[in-house]
Amino acid sequence: MKKVVLFSLLISPLVLFSQISFVKDTMQMQGDSVVITANRTERKLGNITVPVTIINAKQLQQTGSLRLTDILKEQPGLTISSGFGAGVQLQGLNPDYTIILINGEPLVGRTAGVLDLNRIALGNIKKIEIVKGPSSSLYGSEAMAGVINIITDASTTIPLQASLRYGTYQTVDAGINNAFSTKHVFYQGFYNYFNTNGYSIRPNSTSRVTTPITRFTLNQQLKVNLTENTNLSFGLRLTDEKIKNNISVNNGGATINSNGKENNSDQNINLTLNHRFSNALKTSFRGYFTEYNARQDLVTLSGDPYYDLLNHSFQRIENQTDWNFNKKLNILFGAGAVWEGVKSSRYDSENVRKKNSIQYGFTQLEWTPNDKLILIGGVRFDKNETYASAFSPKMSALYKINSKHKIKLSIGQGFKAPDFRQIYLDFTNAAAGSYSVFGTAQAQQVISTLMTLGQIGVLYDNYYQLKSLKPEYSNGVHLTWDYEPNSKNFFSLQFFRNDIRNLIQVQQVGAYTTGAQIFSYLNIGRAFTQGIEVEAKHKVSNNLFISGAYQYLLTGDKDQIEQIKSGKVYKRDVNGYSQILSLNDYVGLPNNSTHKVQLKFNYTNSVGFFANFRAMYRSSWAVNNTNGNEVFDNGDELAKGFVSLHTSIGKDYRNGISLQLGCDNISNYVDASNLPNLPGRTYFGTFKYQIFKNK
Amino acid sequence: MKKTVQTIGLFIMVATSMIACTKSETAAPIVVTPLTIYTVKDIPADTVVGLSAQGAPVARGIYTFYSLEKNALVPNTDSASTKWDIAFLSTRIIINGGTSGTGLGGAFIFTGLFDDLKTISADSVFKTDNAPTSYAVTSGSGKGWYTYDALNNLVTPIAGRVLVIKTASGKYAKLEITSYYKGGVTLPASASVEDKLYKQRYYNFRFAYQPNGTKTF
Repeated sequence: MKKVVLFSLLISPLVLFSQISFVKDTMQMQGDSVVITANRTERKLGNITVPVTIINAKQLQQTGSLRLTDILKEQPGLTISSGFGAGVQLQGLNPDYTIILINGEPLVGRTAGVLDLNRIALGNIKKIEIVKGPSSSLYGSEAMAGVINIITDASTTIPLQASLRYGTYQTVDAGINNAFSTKHVFYQGFYNYFNTNGYSIRPNSTSRVTTPITRFTLNQQLKVNLTENTNLSFGLRLTDEKIKNNISVNNGGATINSNGKENNSDQNINLTLNHRFSNALKTSFRGYFTEYNARQDLVTLSGDPYYDLLNHSFQRIENQTDWNFNKKLNILFGAGAVWEGVKSSRYDSENVRKKNSIQYGFTQLEWTPNDKLILIGGVRFDKNETYASAFSPKMSALYKINSKHKIKLSIGQGFKAPDFRQIYLDFTNAAAGSYSVFGTAQAQQVISTLMTLGQIGVLYDNYYQLKSLKPEYSNGVHLTWDYEPNSKNFFSLQFFRNDIRNLIQVQQVGAYTTGAQIFSYLNIGRAFTQGIEVEAKHKVSNNLFISGAYQYLLTGDKDQIEQIKSGKVYKRDVNGYSQILSLNDYVGLPNNSTHKVQLKFNYTNSVGFFANFRAMYRSSWAVNNTNGNEVFDNGDELAKGFVSLHTSIGKDYRNGISLQLGCDNISNYVDASNLPNLPGRTYFGTFKYQIFKNK
Repeated sequence: MKKTVQTIGLFIMVATSMIACTKSETAAPIVVTPLTIYTVKDIPADTVVGLSAQGAPVARGIYTFYSLEKNALVPNTDSASTKWDIAFLSTRIIINGGTSGTGLGGAFIFTGLFDDLKTISADSVFKTDNAPTSYAVTSGSGKGWYTYDALNNLVTPIAGRVLVIKTASGKYAKLEITSYYKGGVTLPASASVEDKLYKQRYYNFRFAYQPNGTKTF
């Protein structure tokens, strides 16, 4: 902690405040003010050149967050999407475009591009760092909108901590953290059990919006200081979830009810060797292995069994070296290799693993010509076996105008590699009209075979344009002004713009003789997201802290906008009569709200009592194209804007006991079809006990 | 099955006459009686009557025939005559001509606004039904007059599409489908399964019929 205080001269008043209260780093103050994700090396927050949000452990505890989704939905610029689990949209970009890391290593196992963040338990987390803007120059594919890095800490000082929480819908969350350390060995373990009975917020429906789920999480971390300058760390994380399913699939008007279960598990193992040659030169070797397994077994009510399975494995080795060349120049470089494979029942054979390998290298220069300016330039090259290589440059700058004003500018290119399904999918939905979707590697081969069998009725022009997919690219610009007039106030204004090209979209490329459609993937889309983010924090007193955030977001499909401008897109008036759609009617990409507002009040006092109240507003967003023009406009079905309110109170006693009571969604806002992840009003109570280390 | 007749008041074809006036000052303004635009609601098109044991929707598989000339339904017993111009069976539309009937009928889909279609251009080609390989009004999601959203099980007429129809007797009509659902409003995605099943297959449209045999509306 001393080191942190020493480092954080710029934000030292904030740190001091957090020091004087009983609760070490309170919700508001960035006590943990070292950021690792932005530069892939530790830097104090005050010297970070890109937009970063830090969520610390205290904040997670005080809001009563259990899963990663719980806390991310309360962050500026982030929206939780529903559909294929709960993914995170960052500044208007879909969940596919944000990489999720645990201690710097990526999580895999996405369904339709969405990584279900409910898989991630928060009990042992030290902090979460969110970097906004393309970060592929350091992290490669998927870091197009940004990076979310979940950091656990082996060097905790709490030897034992146990917590039990019970809430609405028979939701139980039980966790144990244990740790021990000697001078050279640090160990931390985390065990979590979560069970919910699920809930049904849809009237007259037997199918539950959230089904009964049981999840186990196990985490083991071991760090050994081999010498004064060398340490070895090992991490193991296992999660396993079992979901009881009762699914209604609507197929051409026929409803098929199925019962069954879903079992998802993932394992992550990492081994890191860090060595410090001198104060100026250090290196780390990292090995990482992860595997995600999902299996769904269902039986229809008429007795027909079917299943779906997905297995995604990912192995990586990497070296990174940080060289502090002199006081003004830091150089970082690294290289690595990835072996990745997917098996799926939706590919031509579920027994054959589809593989890709990647070799990459990256470098970043950090130049501090004087105490006001920091300039960073970086570049990464990813060579891929199965699709085109990607080159990701980025540059960013921080200029400290004076002690109160700071300007940050970052410009970078991010990419997202085509995923396995876009290359290898070989899926015919016999249950729903027998349409087929073929990945690009399959499409031409499979279709030409079908053609010789006389099963192909028609092929469109775009079929002949099918070729190996290129990565999707985004160019992002972020300009941020931070203003900190005094230790009690903080204000930040950010402008951002992302231009996306080569978007991979599903298109119909032909039809069977039966008329059933055939789809494949093409690099065709162009889109943009742009907006403004405003954040303000005010410390009313040593006990009360208020923060607020607002995001204004505009999105759009560039090709659709061109079509609208040329007067070729129509809508319907109240009578159902067609009219020409004007650009004013266009609402942009689906699932994006123009306005988002957050307001949080946080109270803590010197005897360990805390209380908070959080209000979130999200304006309406497009969910479904109902007027048949294939663009989203105000004549389509929009989800209503809504406010959700949350509160929690608690007390940390000096003997190690903590109690907490909370209520989420106080106003009981429910929108079953558009917000399946938002149950009605729920309550919870938490009991926690921790043994402090004797000092 | 309420039919409302919407008559638009008289108007003067100024466009042509204005040019004439400014140039010669002699031509008398041409007064045109505009065609009546008929609004037709909730024409059932083989509506669902129940579910099979497997849960599949069951319908009778019978077309509903309509005369644009008379603005009236035509009984099925007249299906082999030239009394009908257009017929509906779920999303399939047939026109009295080609393989579908004994009439002179044909059709094509015009992209644009109903009101903007004032004259059928001379080079327009009227397609005829050639069942089962092709139809004058192309069937299939996104190919003809509608899109089908498989996820939400909804059929939506594509905005800005006008069916230009040659009737059984060789006259011309233009027709805009406004909805495929009872009541004339496409159901929201959140509508119940029952509503989606039983309120579908009802055509709502408006049309204009030119009795004088010309291609102008």
